[in-house]
Amino acid sequence: MSGSRGLGYAFVLPTLAFLVLFNVFPLVYNLVLGFTNYRLSGSTWEWVGGLNYSRVFAKPEYAAALRTTGLFVVCAVAAELTLGFVLALALTRPFRGKSAVLTLLLVPMMLSPAVMGLYWTLILNGDYGILDQMLGALGIDQPRWLTDGSLKLLSVLIVDVWMWTPFMMLIALAGLNAIPAYIYEAAEIDRASRYTVFRRITLPMCAPLLILAVLLRATDALKQFDLVMAMTGPNEGATQTVSALLYQTLIKEGKVGLSSAYACVVLVGVIALASLFTRYLDRLARQQGRTG
Amino acid sequence: MGTQRLLAILAAVLFASLTNAVEAAEGKAITIWWAQWSPADGLQQLGDEFTKKTGTKVTVHQIPWGSYQDQVFLNFGNKQTDFDIVVGDSQWLGRGATDKLYLDLSDWLPKAVDLTTIHPAALKYLCEYPGGSGHYFAAPCETDAMGFAYRKDWFEDATEKSVFKAKYGRELAVPQSWDEFQQVAEFFQRPERKRFGCAIATGRGYDCLVMGYQNLMWAFGGSWGDPATFTAKGQVDGAPAVAALTFFKQLLASGPKGAPNLDYGDLLEAFTNGSTAMAMNFFAFSPTIAKQMGDKAGFFVMPAKDGKRVVSLGGQGFSISTKVAPAQQELAKEFIAWFNTRAVQERWITKDAGFTANTEILKSDAFRKATPYNAAFAESLDHVQDFWNVPVYNELLAKAVQHLADALDGKAEPKAALEALAADHDEIFQDAGLRK
Repeated sequence: MSGSRGLGYAFVLPTLAFLVLFNVFPLVYNLVLGFTNYRLSGSTWEWVGGLNYSRVFAKPEYAAALRTTGLFVVCAVAAELTLGFVLALALTRPFRGKSAVLTLLLVPMMLSPAVMGLYWTLILNGDYGILDQMLGALGIDQPRWLTDGSLKLLSVLIVDVWMWTPFMMLIALAGLNAIPAYIYEAAEIDRASRYTVFRRITLPMCAPLLILAVLLRATDALKQFDLVMAMTGPNEGATQTVSALLYQTLIKEGKVGLSSAYACVVLVGVIALASLFTRYLDRLARQQGRTG
Repeated sequence: MGTQRLLAILAAVLFASLTNAVEAAEGKAITIWWAQWSPADGLQQLGDEFTKKTGTKVTVHQIPWGSYQDQVFLNFGNKQTDFDIVVGDSQWLGRGATDKLYLDLSDWLPKAVDLTTIHPAALKYLCEYPGGSGHYFAAPCETDAMGFAYRKDWFEDATEKSVFKAKYGRELAVPQSWDEFQQVAEFFQRPERKRFGCAIATGRGYDCLVMGYQNLMWAFGGSWGDPATFTAKGQVDGAPAVAALTFFKQLLASGPKGAPNLDYGDLLEAFTNGSTAMAMNFFAFSPTIAKQMGDKAGFFVMPAKDGKRVVSLGGQGFSISTKVAPAQQELAKEFIAWFNTRAVQERWITKDAGFTANTEILKSDAFRKATPYNAAFAESLDHVQDFWNVPVYNELLAKAVQHLADALDGKAEPKAALEALAADHDEIFQDAGLRK
């Protein structure tokens, strides 16, 4: 008995050590650093108590970065979910060249966001960008995508939606294909309208997968960094997401203590958000268990 | 046969490692970090000459501009740096000196280099911290300043000249004042023909927007604050600064469509693609312009406002890392002293953008006539000033870029943007313990 317990520990220990070393220790160390004035290139540091935290809550740019990130997540995920679901619905029916269309639609999400961000800066460039030239040729007003303060976030959103709608589409497609055909047949016998079929069958049966997709995309969008860095840079107020502000504070300004405190605040927010999602998923699973 | 080949390869590998080991053991190699651009190639060529002369191998490791600063200061976070010498921006001096990352060269530099031959502005802004203190943390390497490239062929075109004279009542010539500059820019602004009046530094990366704006801010009578008390309020947002920013924004109307956000690369592109009459940039980019545009391009010094002409300083100095062995520091000093000799400086100026700080060379006719841009560069050096080089320079820069950008993008009026900037700068000074 004790031998098998020892063997059990032997199996678990490496993973445990790995977790402590790469997850728990950095987390605790980050927490400690948040109470210091440690600088990236400095050799000494002092305890500053809650000064970094009071700064995080007092300075408007930190709240602004949270707002920008929140707005980005909501708009990006909503647009990607809607477009992705519509595309998936269109792709459930058989048509000629369907596999080719599907492959083409999936290409954007397979590309590197940083590289795509750089390419899109060329497309959206006010002088030689293809998009503005096309709009100009059609006699349409050419917006200054990357230089007009009110359009910068929209430009990043457009690229994000272009890149990640296929991901939503793919998951929605999997959900739609998993709905048994006999349920639709039964609805047809009952003469249910198209809208009723969509509202009572398609949407509820796809919902768990869609919520999972929303959770995955929202988590990813919360970390938005690559596109912002490539398209507008980390110091641009209009598009400064939490990750961009952390980069600016830590790497550009070298303030390890302050950025650690901000990272802790963000972490608490992300954990709260994630727990809300997981609770909702649990509730959904329980409901389905009861009905199933 | 196979075994013989294997043995030969093994012997070669062993020989190579032994050679490296001997070289390392003798400490006969120095590594210099610099940004990836043509002057760094020139420095490597001179380094090779130094190797032939002394046996000390010199490697110039080039890092893309976008990540250069980050990589240097991240490397300084190690116990030992991967470089012996870093060619650092003038603004880095305070951080390098205060955080004890740069070796104090105060005793050594005056003995190793004849400082009377170094341009005072280069010495003050590229080598000394605090300015005027006599404490040196760098030695001159690449001296630079901002200026303008212009379309000489357009300016000399008979039709353009007569139309300009009829419209403005004066000859079409290189602008001496900012008001003249605005007129010329407006005159050449013909977007329907894809011709634009001017391209000025407005990019949001690192220091571009600040470098562009401060040429006007200083000329209009503004300042970044009082260096004695570290007070920004009243100066950063004073009436001259507001007038300068308002004028700066007006100039964008005479530029290409992306004028509110043109980084150094964009400025170069705007001029070399043949669309722009006048483009602001550092003189370090002039060799590329001269090569691509030939006789079509001319160069001029930053215009003045009411006779006051001030130019943004560029360039970098050699600093020695405190985080390398003393023997390496000695080798680094040997190289820097050699580089700053007159003979080597005369070869340095033959390299692309190898701009010297040596006043004797700068004054010489040979230098001024060697390229179409040397004379304008030499004159510019007499008018240079620099942004703050205190340890918190990066925070000051970041805030300046944010608020100036707000004014250019229409998010805030110039006055409101500068008031917010002054408040932020004062807070940064306060937090850094600089306020008196």
